[in-house]
Amino acid sequence: MDASRRNLLKAAAILLVDQWAGSRRRVFAAESSSAAGKDERKVIVVACAGIRRAETFSDTGLGNIPHLYRELLPQSVFYPFIRNAGATSHYNTISSILTGNWQRLDDWGKTPPASPTLFEYLRKRMELSQDNAWLISSNKALTSRIGASSMRDFGPRYGANVVFPKQLLINAVIRAASQGHPEHSADRAAMQSELEAILQHADNYEGLGWSVSGDESFLDLRMQSSMQQAIEELVRTNAPVTGDEFTFLVSAEVMRRFAPSLLAITFSDVEVAHFGSYSMHLAGIRTMDRLVYELWNLVEADPSYSGKTTLFILPEFGRDLDGSSTNGFFNHRSIDDSTSLTWMMCLGEAARSADVVERTVQHIDLCPTIAGLFGIKDLDLPGKPLPGLST
Amino acid sequence: MNEWPGNAQKEAPSPDAYRHLVERLPVTLRPSLNQQLSQWGTLFPFEQNRLANFMKGVETFSPSALDALTAPLWALEKKMGVKLWNFSEASDTIENASQLARSEYYAEWRREVQRVFETVNAAARDSTPIQTASTRLILLFLPGSLPVDPLSAWKQWDARGHEIKISGGSERICELAMQGHADLSGIATLAARQGSRESSDLWLIDAEAKLSGMLSPLSPIAAFSLSYAALKPFRDRFLAEVNKIPKDIQATDELISNLRLEAWNGWDLWPAEVANQPRLRRFVIDLYLSGNGAFIFSNAFVEWAASEALRRARPRTIVARFGMRSKPKPFTSIAIFENQQRISSLPDVDDPENSAIDAVILARYVWLAASRYPEQEQTLCLCVSEHRDSAYAILPAGKSLGWSPERTIAPEELYSWLGAQFLS
Repeated sequence: MDASRRNLLKAAAILLVDQWAGSRRRVFAAESSSAAGKDERKVIVVACAGIRRAETFSDTGLGNIPHLYRELLPQSVFYPFIRNAGATSHYNTISSILTGNWQRLDDWGKTPPASPTLFEYLRKRMELSQDNAWLISSNKALTSRIGASSMRDFGPRYGANVVFPKQLLINAVIRAASQGHPEHSADRAAMQSELEAILQHADNYEGLGWSVSGDESFLDLRMQSSMQQAIEELVRTNAPVTGDEFTFLVSAEVMRRFAPSLLAITFSDVEVAHFGSYSMHLAGIRTMDRLVYELWNLVEADPSYSGKTTLFILPEFGRDLDGSSTNGFFNHRSIDDSTSLTWMMCLGEAARSADVVERTVQHIDLCPTIAGLFGIKDLDLPGKPLPGLST
Repeated sequence: MNEWPGNAQKEAPSPDAYRHLVERLPVTLRPSLNQQLSQWGTLFPFEQNRLANFMKGVETFSPSALDALTAPLWALEKKMGVKLWNFSEASDTIENASQLARSEYYAEWRREVQRVFETVNAAARDSTPIQTASTRLILLFLPGSLPVDPLSAWKQWDARGHEIKISGGSERICELAMQGHADLSGIATLAARQGSRESSDLWLIDAEAKLSGMLSPLSPIAAFSLSYAALKPFRDRFLAEVNKIPKDIQATDELISNLRLEAWNGWDLWPAEVANQPRLRRFVIDLYLSGNGAFIFSNAFVEWAASEALRRARPRTIVARFGMRSKPKPFTSIAIFENQQRISSLPDVDDPENSAIDAVILARYVWLAASRYPEQEQTLCLCVSEHRDSAYAILPAGKSLGWSPERTIAPEELYSWLGAQFLS
């Protein structure tokens, strides 16, 4: 990605977080900014949608993941086999990872997880403020309901901030198209007006992509102006912008501002595979590889994170086998290993001794493991703490 | 010996006779069968035949034998709580699929459904005369504009195949297939000689709009012809409707159902080769509604159309030609589900390298789709990379190339060999 586009996205990311912080101050003025914050143990989970072993950790795939393979693998605890034994849809898989229970919910996120999420366990047990729990996602298959369960003793009051930065950019495009302004996406001034309209009417999470209970989420004039400038530059460049870049930049800004105890990031550029472009799917894998590497460098360089952070990276599931009746890499619907068996990498504090754990683990093992890293060890969950980690 | 699927049906079965049989089957088997029965008139001959055979198979079971066969599936449906679901028995829906897929018994259910189908189909086969198989030909073209990587192009293909070096001018093979020349018959003539009578037995599927125009007007049989480029007016209109789908499964099913019911005849949007073919129009609508990129990328359209044609019509001959896609424009990679020509007025810019990557794997997927069916042993697949003057051939079981793989071969000689293999 060229520097101008990167700078523009970075500016947009800062604005989003600014906006969130401003609205938080208004809405949650009475809530104490308690505990954890900048000095305590931290965990980041990166879920990178549907990626097969064949395109990553296999002889044919290593070229797509140079950073994961060459730079990060040697310092990690690596799990070559992690099984998704639940429903291989995005909402159910992320919910399963976060709750430690296989969730079988509406695929489009109409209902919250049916058991407490890690966010809720952490915030309730450790009395953490909402600033300490974030989910930032590129994936439009998720909804803000992913941030907290429907359990009576837990629920939204212990939930996470859920942010969908990519939605802002999509909305600008869709608005231009729906208003019959195809020329707008090639015209800076016209695109500005599309964006302005979105910003002025952004009164809910679906509109702009963040979840703040009761907030009206208006952007102030300074932010609007900056965002318009950002979009101008975005339009001026003649290359595509990826949603995962933007998600990464918002995540980096959240880390810088809030240093949350638990941050979950979901990337989804690779899901272009549903549209049948293998080259774009591979490009999505290479973007994910680079962004995860940059994220790790960020962790190591930031005093709030360095030496006290554990980073988990895993695909949500694989994709269907070439030759399957479900059209191979396009989908993630089949029940064979190509779809359900992937890999996971753990870096940082809990991965002090590099190792390869050959035993097959499961997605639901992450929740008790992460809870354990925060000293919460008495949860009644079907998953087991991951082997090979220092707790 | 395998039955050739296209020939088997001699008497026209009636869908009404089958409806009561469907009611005897477990609930989760009914949507697909009922949907096919309701669309009987636009099913391909193979689909009608397959459904009739399945029903014939069901009829071979006495009530108690059928109960015994399906008892495990009935029990599984009870455990899954199917009766409590909002489950459509009339047709396959996204909500049906979603409810099944998130059940903890999903894998077990799939195995059980497969067992029931296999048992019923086996019973049907036992009561159906077997016919002699003939060769199926799959001819795939990666046009010269796609710079196919010479090192990786054929690496992932079926190891049973052979790389063929062409002496030059490999685009001539497509011309010969469409038009013939001197003593070389075009593909339609070859198909007719081989016994094809029905349009659904010969498919031309094209990323651009070249194949149907190249086909000789003197061809003895008409082909089913689909072109991504020629379908643009219909596709744009249809995509606009699909993009109204809200983020809600029930509403989506309703909208999809309405789109299926819409006649789509009055808009004058269909290309001439599709307009008067109700089966083909239905096929295109089903293709777009089943996803898999057929709206967005021409190469995904070619692959998915060819795979679905194989699944639904089991033709003797498919010719599929891949093509070029444009580079994603600013913004469109984040909203790829839209028509980027509509949402951006920037000019299209070709993306040859990445189009080649897409086309190579998708061409292989067409072969893999063909290899799922029993006739694969009689299938001859030739994929030609015009850019590399190279081809990859997978021959029917027991056949061999007949020349050293090191030898280069002229396009005319290769096409002549292809015709001979097809008719043998």
